[in-house]
Amino acid sequence: MSATATRPETDYLLRKLHSLTGIIPVGAFLVEHFWSNSYALVSQAQYDAKSQELQTIPFRIFVEWAFIFLPMLYHGGYGIYIWLRGKANVSAYPWVGNWLYTTQRYTGLIAFAYIGWHLYTERWLTHGRSTYADVENLLRNPYALAFMFVGVVASSFHLGVGIWNFLCKWGLAATVKAQRAAGALGAVVGFTFSLVGVLIVCSFWLNWHPFDFYVK
Amino acid sequence: MAEAKQVIVRIKRQAGPKVAPYWEEFALPWRPAMNVIICLRDIAENPVTRDGKKTTPISYDSNCLEEVCGSCAMLINGRARMACSALVDKLEQPIRLEPFSKFPVVRDLAVDRQFMFESLKRVNGWIPIDGTYDLGEGPRMAPEIQEKAYPLSRCISCGSCLEVCPQVNDNNQFIGAAIVSQVRLFNMHPTGAMHAKERIQALMEPGGIQDCANAQNCVKACPKDIPLTESLAEMNRQAWKQALVGWLIG
Repeated sequence: MSATATRPETDYLLRKLHSLTGIIPVGAFLVEHFWSNSYALVSQAQYDAKSQELQTIPFRIFVEWAFIFLPMLYHGGYGIYIWLRGKANVSAYPWVGNWLYTTQRYTGLIAFAYIGWHLYTERWLTHGRSTYADVENLLRNPYALAFMFVGVVASSFHLGVGIWNFLCKWGLAATVKAQRAAGALGAVVGFTFSLVGVLIVCSFWLNWHPFDFYVK
Repeated sequence: MAEAKQVIVRIKRQAGPKVAPYWEEFALPWRPAMNVIICLRDIAENPVTRDGKKTTPISYDSNCLEEVCGSCAMLINGRARMACSALVDKLEQPIRLEPFSKFPVVRDLAVDRQFMFESLKRVNGWIPIDGTYDLGEGPRMAPEIQEKAYPLSRCISCGSCLEVCPQVNDNNQFIGAAIVSQVRLFNMHPTGAMHAKERIQALMEPGGIQDCANAQNCVKACPKDIPLTESLAEMNRQAWKQALVGWLIG
């Protein structure tokens, strides 16, 4: 054997980058996005104020491309490439981990398509100036409403499973016990995000603001 | 008088590596404590199909008959299993036997697992003890390490973990959990550790550890209860540390 030369292979680095971008910044952005959209649960005015604050950050276009659009494009694009190189066998081996493996691919694709549409309607068509009224109008269309529910749940599920995958695949949860805990954490995240996401969509749909007593 | 109990076995046969497979069905007299290997031996003694047609004995690999050699792994009722430890009384009938799907078929149930051997060579899956001179005794191994290493050393290269892995297929060169676990074993050994970085480097080549997608089928299918998912996580951590922050922290 020759002397050691640690020279990471491109294939290795691209795969690790895919895994990392899923958590930072894509997963982190999902946290921020759900948080700021939760302002709809307070009031229309609070939501619009929060939106305007985000829409007027310095270096906005660079922040958007560097931390949101490009990482998402990479994570989604490379994710599809990974999917094509795997061969699901959940019918032969219907184990929990194997089900998550398969659903992670479908929820990823659904989330990717949904986010594309979501960006088109809320970022592109509104010229980056989306308001409460824009979202409310969009959700009057029952198909848009349904897609919103599906997209929110698919993204939440994908993040939850992604956290468990990430902790296992970076060896941060290395023992069986730690991996069980990582799975529980992923489940809690997936479930909580699904719930919060559904509540936010309901807020626009039903003009429902459960926290409006803060501002009354 | 009650009819004698029978065992019905359906076998996917293939005369050679490049010819089309076909199925044959056999009806064997039941005996107590039968396993799948006994069925295959009974067929070899009297190679006649269920409908009375004379045929050839089934080709298959087997050696130890006690689940320590790894050679008789095959698909039994669609699941990767060792034929020697698959008890007929615990299997649903007709018992379906197929060769592993992730390795080239040699004939009938015998497959060529050369891929695993080549992968072990790629990752330096051994401990070099020979030099141009006598290297003397190696360092002693702490009991704590011995206890961790022993379960890993039980790997029999049967290929079950590759067979059940969705990431091991024609579109992917993934070397599979067994090989990654072997790297962990050899890197744990005090003499083997002298080449730990080379092995980790080899694990990061195309088809390496990065192709694991955490479906965790491997650990469920392993007949030797090797903690394969722990090995994957552990080696994954060592790999990214070496590749991504090695230049910073050494």
